[in-house]
Amino acid sequence: MRHSIALTIGPASFRIGSAWPAPIAQLAHLYRAYPTPPEGIADFTVRLEPSKPWRRHIRPSIHITGDHGLADAAPMALAHGLLAAEMGMNLQMALGWRRHLLLHASCVEKDGRALVMTGESGSGKSTLAAQLGERGWRLMGDEFALLDLHSGQIFAFPRLISLKNAAISVMEAEAAPDRFGPLLRATAKGDIRHLSPRADAVARMAEGAMPALLLFPRYGFAPEIRTVGQGEVFMRLTQASTNYTALGEPGFTALTRFVQTVPAHAIDFPSGEDAIALVEQLWAEAR
Amino acid sequence: MTVPTRYRAAPATDLIVRALDDITLIYHRPSSQTHMVASPVPEILDALRTTPLTAPLPEREGPGVGSERSEPPAHATQTPAQILTTLSTHFDLGDPATARPVIAAHLEEMVALGLIHRA
Amino acid sequence: MTATLLVQTLRDPASAARLSAPDWNALIAAARAERLIGTLAYRLEHAEVPAPVRPILADARTEAVREARQALWEADRARAALAPLNIPVVLLKGTAYAAAHLSPAQGRFIGDLDILVPRAALDAVEAALIAAGWEWVKPDPYDDAYYRQWMHELPPLIHRDRDRMIDVHHSILPLTARPKPDAAALLTDSIPISEGSLKGLRILSPTDRICHAAAHMLADGDLSGGLRNLWDIHCLLTDLAPSEDLPTRTAHHGLTAPVAQAQRLARHLYAPHEKPAPLPLQDRLIAKRLLATNAWGQETQKPLRMGYYLRSHALRMPPMMLARHLVTKWRKGHRG
Repeated sequence: MRHSIALTIGPASFRIGSAWPAPIAQLAHLYRAYPTPPEGIADFTVRLEPSKPWRRHIRPSIHITGDHGLADAAPMALAHGLLAAEMGMNLQMALGWRRHLLLHASCVEKDGRALVMTGESGSGKSTLAAQLGERGWRLMGDEFALLDLHSGQIFAFPRLISLKNAAISVMEAEAAPDRFGPLLRATAKGDIRHLSPRADAVARMAEGAMPALLLFPRYGFAPEIRTVGQGEVFMRLTQASTNYTALGEPGFTALTRFVQTVPAHAIDFPSGEDAIALVEQLWAEAR
Repeated sequence: MTVPTRYRAAPATDLIVRALDDITLIYHRPSSQTHMVASPVPEILDALRTTPLTAPLPEREGPGVGSERSEPPAHATQTPAQILTTLSTHFDLGDPATARPVIAAHLEEMVALGLIHRA
Repeated sequence: MTATLLVQTLRDPASAARLSAPDWNALIAAARAERLIGTLAYRLEHAEVPAPVRPILADARTEAVREARQALWEADRARAALAPLNIPVVLLKGTAYAAAHLSPAQGRFIGDLDILVPRAALDAVEAALIAAGWEWVKPDPYDDAYYRQWMHELPPLIHRDRDRMIDVHHSILPLTARPKPDAAALLTDSIPISEGSLKGLRILSPTDRICHAAAHMLADGDLSGGLRNLWDIHCLLTDLAPSEDLPTRTAHHGLTAPVAQAQRLARHLYAPHEKPAPLPLQDRLIAKRLLATNAWGQETQKPLRMGYYLRSHALRMPPMMLARHLVTKWRKGHRG
């Protein structure tokens, strides 16, 4: 491939090849504080290829693939190349990672203990984690939390935070401009802007933390806290995991232990400030 | 009269059973599948798994009782009627005429999943 | 052509000691692209490899063990569904290798469950599988009719709960293909599995396994996944007892040419040797196609690949039938 970069995010490393220079240059800028793969050997290969041979120059169109790919993945515009690269890395993790149970969840850490938040896209979990990450918590990830199969610790996967629509201006008010990627207008998920995690989140990305609280946030409702039964927690977490089935028995053992030991609540909130207040309240109670 | 089907539990090493606060999880090793089950499925499994090979069975129907075999299976086999009797010592199952087809249906579902076997 | 690196490392695991970091990246990408990462991981189980490679290979081995367990469970469910029919049920390909602990099984990716049954029992097999929870995958009546009229298998079925596919074959090549393997002899000479939960199922005889693997690779497919198929053939040939008469059997099935070609290719690419023996021209083209993966795991040699798709169809179907098939496909494609 003509253009490439190699980087390590948490326990996983990637080499990303691209037919075009722009996505690689953007990655190089936003991931500037991240290490390269150990000994130069990456866990996964990601490729950003022209969707048809002639689509490298004429109306460039990116096909995302790599070691693991989806046959029916929709091609993307070159202007959204950074998003394509991020999706390519997510795809490798979702389909290929086996060293942890992968939970589709955001995660922050304080005093060596982790708060895990999971929910559908639009639930506010990503924005909430991004905000907490600027307010005294360590951001461990806005998309995946990695549950260790043996120790029960959560490990970080702090890739770029993917801010969508209204969350973009919320975070523009909190973080320095040089941590932001280009504004990507009119993607399949609306407007998207990527944000580099804070330096401490990157420097400490290899540190695990025992999970202390699990939340199911829901944005846009009157404030409410509900306890969630273990059966429902188990079911929702298997649905939120891309590799639960693939891990087999170790995944079952790790997830049942998580469900039996970590208190879980569903929280509804009408605004980001309400959410932060609810989280701090539940966090204090969980101690 | 037809001989009733007999059932026995899958080998203990095939299953991991974890009771959560509201439901029971069963991990089935040969299929790598997780099953979330509620009563009376865990109890049926218990009834089949805890029957010692030499225990006197409540009724004797037809051949094939575990203790008579040259190579006994890991668990004794039971008929649906025997399982119903065991369950009714722990549960109020209501009218046996209603309970019987329900238990029979559960048993066949459990066979299809590999949690128990037809003897 | 870095699949060369993959072939060389499978052939001679000790050569891994000489690999650079870019070599490793290329090797891992090629092994994943060819679905040989599990096989590679076992070949390198006791080799000195760089620290970051170790977990990648360990993951691949764990994955292969899990794959095999799931494949055997699927075979067990088919066994249970078909037991009342009292017919021979022969496991094919990956599941057969895993069930009988044959050497290609080690680390092998296993996809669908493939079974061979007597043609006369097809309707009963279909009914029994559907009663046990399998459902049709293809809703397209043309494809369905095509399968039933011309293919050596039922249209694929998928289990509604387990989401796994089963291919029910009554022969090892489509009815339209030029070679006509003796399906009855495949069944008659198959070998029962004598132990474990799959007791009652059968596998092909040692020579028929090679006939099937070669027919599948060279007389049937478009050569995609060819390096893996050829690895199977290499292992099966290595394990073949000297007393077995392979030439007579391949002649009986009309598969002398593809089996001989598979033997030449397997020897050329996988057998330990100092310097590979020269290959005839048509073999060289196939070898080139097999090795057409670059350092990023991409397929190169696209025109060659297209050629093989046509070749594959031409081999399976006489020309008039091919035209009919392509036209029907084409019309459908343009109607959207």
